[in-house]
Amino acid sequence: MDLSESKDFLVHTASLKEVRVFSREVFEKLKINNDLKEELVLAIAEAAQNIVKHAYKGVENTADHMQIKISLKDDNLEIGFFDKGKPVVEENIQHRKLDDIKPGGLGTFFIKQIMDDAVFKKDQQKWVNHLILSKKI
Amino acid sequence: MSYKITEEGNISTVFLDGEIDMDVTEKAKEVILPLVEAGKEVHLNLKDVSYMDSSGISVLIESHQKALENNTKVVVKEVSKSVLKVIMMAKLEQILNLE
Repeated sequence: MDLSESKDFLVHTASLKEVRVFSREVFEKLKINNDLKEELVLAIAEAAQNIVKHAYKGVENTADHMQIKISLKDDNLEIGFFDKGKPVVEENIQHRKLDDIKPGGLGTFFIKQIMDDAVFKKDQQKWVNHLILSKKI
Repeated sequence: MSYKITEEGNISTVFLDGEIDMDVTEKAKEVILPLVEAGKEVHLNLKDVSYMDSSGISVLIESHQKALENNTKVVVKEVSKSVLKVIMMAKLEQILNLE
């Protein structure tokens, strides 16, 4: 079953629950099993959280929205994240070492564990950042 | 997220309920850390926590480390399957006191 759905969310921590609800609804339509569904929801929520936490660092109560687009075509799942925050500097994105036990720095690690690939595209005029997470399912 | 606290001797048990994400981590810390700083042994009961992301994991780590500083401990109890999966993904099952 091929499908593509997208939704806009206010850039705010309170939107993270809505992001999860939207993601679960789409994955239920795609009949993805529960374990994989929850892993994918975690990856999506972590990427959305990174937008709130990093792309909009120091910005409070923005009226900006981020867009999340989930697409499945020929068993290739692609999740797009679009935002108008600060441009991402890819070289600065790294998770902490797992044996360096401290709070924080795990979101990107989770995304890498769950997804096959994470790529920032510079193909948008309307948006600043465009992240694509992909996974063969 | 909602919570309930029970006290028995020096043990405070915090029953957390719902989904723990970045939006509620400050609230979770406000509940847990003062107990730890007061020297209580804190039991975190997570049986009704259906979802936890990296922010929630950070709360567990911070609580654990704060407990060590205060010569007490935080015990994580009745972890739901979904949360245990995230704890194991972070390779923290040997670090946190899981029961």
